[in-house]
Amino acid sequence: MRRLEAAARRAGAWLFAPGDPRRLAALRIGLGTVLAVRLATGPYLELARQPAALFRPISFLRLLDAMPPPTVVVVLQVVAVAAAVLATAGVAARATLPLAWVAGLPLVAMTSSIGKVVHNDVLLLLVLVPLLPAPTGDTWSLAARRGRGSARPRAGSGVSPRYGWPVRTATVVVAGAYFFTGLAKLLHAGPAWVTSGNLRWVLYASSDAQAAPNQAALFVADRPWLAHLVALATLALELSFPLVLVRPRAAWVLVPGVLGLHAGIWVAMGLNYWPMAATVVLVLVDWAALADRLGRYNHFFRLKKSHRPTPDTSMSPSAPG
Amino acid sequence: MAAFLAVFVVCGVFGLEAWPLTGWRLFADARQPVQVVWQAVTVDAAGHEAPVAFGDLPAGFHGNVQVLKGFAGLAAAEQAAVCRAWADAVRARGGQVEAVRIYHTVTDVSRRVGERGAPPARELRWTCTEAGVAPA
Repeated sequence: MRRLEAAARRAGAWLFAPGDPRRLAALRIGLGTVLAVRLATGPYLELARQPAALFRPISFLRLLDAMPPPTVVVVLQVVAVAAAVLATAGVAARATLPLAWVAGLPLVAMTSSIGKVVHNDVLLLLVLVPLLPAPTGDTWSLAARRGRGSARPRAGSGVSPRYGWPVRTATVVVAGAYFFTGLAKLLHAGPAWVTSGNLRWVLYASSDAQAAPNQAALFVADRPWLAHLVALATLALELSFPLVLVRPRAAWVLVPGVLGLHAGIWVAMGLNYWPMAATVVLVLVDWAALADRLGRYNHFFRLKKSHRPTPDTSMSPSAPG
Repeated sequence: MAAFLAVFVVCGVFGLEAWPLTGWRLFADARQPVQVVWQAVTVDAAGHEAPVAFGDLPAGFHGNVQVLKGFAGLAAAEQAAVCRAWADAVRARGGQVEAVRIYHTVTDVSRRVGERGAPPARELRWTCTEAGVAPA
């Protein structure tokens, strides 16, 4: 019991450790942009015109007999996109980000109400949850530029637990999503997910379902050893994700790994999971540290430029007299 | 926020679906080479069959795999409504539809013919016409 309490205390201390406001702001900007793009380009109006006989609702949409009507969908979409754009810019982010999330939720639910759960936007929605009540607009925002906050805080300035916990909670969600994806494979298929011909049959079936044979899918499926290797690498990558919680440097391996995984699924199976991949990159990269590093390079180059010996222009005919 | 994380973990560990919280079952089952697939085809006045190109239809029609999987469990009126929705969508794209047939197909994807799987074994299960749905 004491060990459990100690573990809970350590987890709490980790979760509520101080954080950089710029990293939280970077999440608002990045995730807000992805949300705005998804909500602006989603097939919601097409879905609204779906015949009721094909409606297979999930979650709260079970309260309806059919998809929401087109007029409601258009209003929701306009409100959600406008709010997401404003939140991204940092205009009243504490109101506009929750508004974008709430207005966007039924739209995203519609995409999963045709028979299959689409996980593409789910990670984005879940990662945004800790940001909804957080002070995401305190920096790198239009509001901050107008003087209500610090427009350009230096490294270490304004560091506080209120900026730290939303970023760490989002990191837990990303790590959990991939870990649970791997865990589900172990629980439902066991080692056979790697050791059987599972991935070969998935890739053959996917290729056969496409209009033209998919050469990338066939390349892997035709080589059993390669299919086992890809399956093992996938499972290992997914189960390794919690490492990033204790060793943030693990992101150097996990982020390229997950980009490779989603790129591979897209090429071989035609399934585009870019919002999931983008969410992982946005959450796991320390944008504040990156900004500091780039700032140092800029400073270095500026110094180098100012110390460069300048040609003596005093004798130049174009030199001002 | 602790409650959110707790529910997120519970859904993940136990594979529960409480959308947007989810059990993260992506490709979780081990596939076998022999796969059962349902197929819907339209029949024109001359009796020619053409598979319904669900990918070319609007997004609301893209859940065909799951709708076909659950077709047997639908009431007759619901089955007729599903067939009517598909037929109307194909007609709206210029297709001629006198009937919709639903086949149960069994494919062994490990049997390859060139770059494609061997043709599946096919069995007619239902025929939908204006008169209603008739089991084969």
